[in-house]
Amino acid sequence: MLGKLNWQAIPFDQPIPLAAGAVVVLALAALLVWLAAKGYMPYLWREWITSVDHKRIGIMYCLLAGVMLLRGFIDALMMRSQQALAFHAAGYLPPEHYNQIFSAHGTIMIFFMAMPFVIGLMNFAMPLQLGVRDVAFPTLNSVSFWLTAAGALLVNISLVVGEFARTGWLPFPPLSELTYSPGVGVDYYLWAIQISGIGTLMTGINFVTTILKIRAPGMTYRRMSIFCWTTLAASLVIVAAFPILTATLAMLTLDRYSGFHFFTNEGGGNAMMFMNLIWAWGHPEVYILVLPAFGVFSEVVSTFCGKPLFGRRSMIVATMGICILSLCVWLHHFFTMGAGADVNAVFGIASMIIAVPTGVKIYNWLFTMYGARVRFSAAMLWSIGFMVTFILGGVTGVLLASPAADFVLHESLFQVAHFHNVIIGGVVFGVFAGYTYWFPKAFGFVLDERLGKAAFWCWLIGFYLAFMPLYVVGLEGMTRRMQHYDRPEWYPWLLVAAVGAFVILCGIALQIAQLWVSIRGRAQRRDLTGDPWDGRSLEWATTSPPPMFNFAVLPDVVSDEPYWSIKQQARAQAQLVTPEPEYTSIEVPRNSATGFVTAFLAVVTGFSLIWHIWWLVILGLVGAYATFVAFAWRDHTEIEIPAEEVARIDRANRAARAAALREGATR
Amino acid sequence: MSKPSDFEAGSYVGGDRVPGAPEERTLAQEVRGYLIGLGLAILLTIASFWADHTREIYAAGIAMALLVLTVAQIGIHLIFFLHITTDPDNENNILALAFGVLIVCLIVFGSLWVMIHLNNNLMPMDKLMQMQR
Amino acid sequence: MSTPALRLAHDPALGPAGIAPPQVTGRGAGGPAPKRIIVGYGFWIFLLSDVIMFSAFFAAYAVLFKSTDGGPSAHELFDLRNTAAQTAVLLASTFTCGMASLAVGHRSQKWTQIALLVTGLLGLTFILLEVREFTGFVARGAGPSRSAFLSSFFTLVGCHGIHVSVALLWLGTMMAQFYAKGFRQDIRYRFLCFSLFWHALDIVWVAIFNLVYLVGSLPPELLP
Repeated sequence: MLGKLNWQAIPFDQPIPLAAGAVVVLALAALLVWLAAKGYMPYLWREWITSVDHKRIGIMYCLLAGVMLLRGFIDALMMRSQQALAFHAAGYLPPEHYNQIFSAHGTIMIFFMAMPFVIGLMNFAMPLQLGVRDVAFPTLNSVSFWLTAAGALLVNISLVVGEFARTGWLPFPPLSELTYSPGVGVDYYLWAIQISGIGTLMTGINFVTTILKIRAPGMTYRRMSIFCWTTLAASLVIVAAFPILTATLAMLTLDRYSGFHFFTNEGGGNAMMFMNLIWAWGHPEVYILVLPAFGVFSEVVSTFCGKPLFGRRSMIVATMGICILSLCVWLHHFFTMGAGADVNAVFGIASMIIAVPTGVKIYNWLFTMYGARVRFSAAMLWSIGFMVTFILGGVTGVLLASPAADFVLHESLFQVAHFHNVIIGGVVFGVFAGYTYWFPKAFGFVLDERLGKAAFWCWLIGFYLAFMPLYVVGLEGMTRRMQHYDRPEWYPWLLVAAVGAFVILCGIALQIAQLWVSIRGRAQRRDLTGDPWDGRSLEWATTSPPPMFNFAVLPDVVSDEPYWSIKQQARAQAQLVTPEPEYTSIEVPRNSATGFVTAFLAVVTGFSLIWHIWWLVILGLVGAYATFVAFAWRDHTEIEIPAEEVARIDRANRAARAAALREGATR
Repeated sequence: MSKPSDFEAGSYVGGDRVPGAPEERTLAQEVRGYLIGLGLAILLTIASFWADHTREIYAAGIAMALLVLTVAQIGIHLIFFLHITTDPDNENNILALAFGVLIVCLIVFGSLWVMIHLNNNLMPMDKLMQMQR
Repeated sequence: MSTPALRLAHDPALGPAGIAPPQVTGRGAGGPAPKRIIVGYGFWIFLLSDVIMFSAFFAAYAVLFKSTDGGPSAHELFDLRNTAAQTAVLLASTFTCGMASLAVGHRSQKWTQIALLVTGLLGLTFILLEVREFTGFVARGAGPSRSAFLSSFFTLVGCHGIHVSVALLWLGTMMAQFYAKGFRQDIRYRFLCFSLFWHALDIVWVAIFNLVYLVGSLPPELLP
């Protein structure tokens, strides 16, 4: 009746997950009760959960990422403290548990922290920068978000019901096959990633269509902002790579559920083929993460240097070059698997070549800063921290790209330090810069700068303390994922690394404090003009937050910094340049519960697949089909915002900006 | 005036008529297009089945011949059934198709190249398992 | 500078969005594209992603082709008459789907329903032929859990079959929608996506019958 599910699934005998689970469940319950008591539920349902507005969806993605950052970071703290304690000792985490922790850490950080964060930023900013009202398929956008949240929920459920995979963040066979992982852990992983993978693929399709087909009049490709170019490149890579992930995980699922022999030891299976296919996805994945981060830095650096970005054209060429090259280097993740010198050489050279366009980008950012009056805001600090840190990480990447060096360093902590170096220095610093930069646009008030800078310094110092020692122990021979060890020369380095992790914890605490302080003091920190940073691209032409329809009338674009040029003109005249337009009514898509319902059914179906509750699987799939039909059967898909309402909102924006110009404010 | 009903990101309100698209063709012309496509596809299908059995083609090249016939027939489908054209609104579709073809070639031929090398260099799994026992 | 960088058109002839109709189509600089183009393009990108997924299954099939673990090989198993029947049926259904597109374009409820019904019946025949082939293999001890080769064959061809089955479900829904609501624009755009999907499935089948069945039926010494 309930498949494999029974009371033994709950870890009553393991205090740590039991306690953690209890805390989370109680906190969630308390939150829900509080929301219901205060009467926020109808508002949340109407304005957020069923919203198809790209701005709201982008914010929800970033919120999901923030929460998952905490969960993934707690896993990291546990790993660092275990390794700091486990010198000639067992530490406090038994191996079965430690293995789940590092697997969950990687899975959550990549799939449910980094991906949602970059997708959220792209979702929020890209349509605004293109000068349009929304993405190509707004309801699909909502479905994508909720499917990602469904995957995150499944992974977190595994903490209290069952177990998580012990196979690392990529489930290599034969360990991940049923013979060697008979529990439900790998199944939780497989279904969570498949479900959220569908969401991500839909996002990629949505963004590619939006950027290529929906732009403001006059915005040629050359006039698009660099952030939109990197969004296009990342979305193309999503469309190219995620189907491979779907197929490969499906093959592993068939092996586990139906006795197929893709990767098994018997029956002719080939475990190496899993490595080949999964890394054909896995390498492009990290470029999906880092390309939008590069885009954020382009926007932030040019804004806070008060100059147009240096070398725009080469930036665009480099971006598209990275897009294509990222699909050609995947074998460098398994040089040691034995493909031979000629294959290794080709992929090694390709991996080194991909550093060139990245170098072009770094030089462009540096030359943008050269000769500029740099404003060292928190967002700019993240960008400068990125440049130093990412260069270091990239250089160690080129070291690892040499097969000969990689034979020594593969699966050592040197490799772990390298990828954290580029992911934290590149992606994490990038999303924090973007979060700081676009927060006023999203919420209408600015974050506290001082706490933001303090958080940055803690992250920067903490990162170096935590990861530079790992390069050293990696060179000294320490492999990754060790639950205990007995080499005395590693011990002091791992202690320093644990200290670094705690410094990062301070950074995160400061970020939470920053949010708290800023929300409480939001009345004093209001962004009244919509342009708190003296921006250069179109999103700063709207109010903060923008109205649902973004622009009352789509702007006509004639330069590659459309907002900056008109702002300069307006400042010279001390009045608005454009006359008041003729306002007409605007049709916006109706909110839809499709996303939420689909995700709910996905969680039910995924959970039933994991526990082999077959009748519930069928019900879930039937429900999903019914949801699609219900969505397709709608007669009224849009609501109309009357012209007077549009006029009222836009007039307020124009009045605020005219007042600012008259005051001769510097903004 | 018809009710403007296209929001979807501020798309231009209009009917199905796409500015710049080729003029309306008659029903007869359109059916003829599909029939030509069907005819060519049937021809290529027969050619494939024939190539599989015949002695006329150099035996070791039959697999390659089938690959070529596959690509040709896919091209017929794309042109006659999926209406790939060269008009400006279709440019992005062709670019996307080229991108897709690149990825497919990378995955299929890249994987084959890598896996053949790996298989050559490493002991087959069943022998490895026997060693364990 | 004579032309301001932000120019807001307010000529009423330009439509509610207040923008000029696209003069230069295709490159996107004339403003947002018409909705039909947007929907068609989005679905086109989805189709390409689906083809990439199939290519991953193809790659696995190619790699595992010789891993028969002493069990039956392609040469021993494949019955080309069945393959020919499936090919004929699916190709015919692609043609009838094209006819359905024309019927929709000319707003003929009768011919739309007839063409879609024939397409659906042909598609159903395809699935039944495939199910018969699969159950036959399983009965002969050549099921997907026999060997890696068979796992990859059943997965690749079966994945295509699942796509066709889902498309049949979609087809039935389209027939119901046309019947219930007529030729409303959003239904016609949905049907455009369906027909693209159906044609794409025939394209994938062209690759399958050539590279899986026909190449697989060649004597082993002729294969690279």
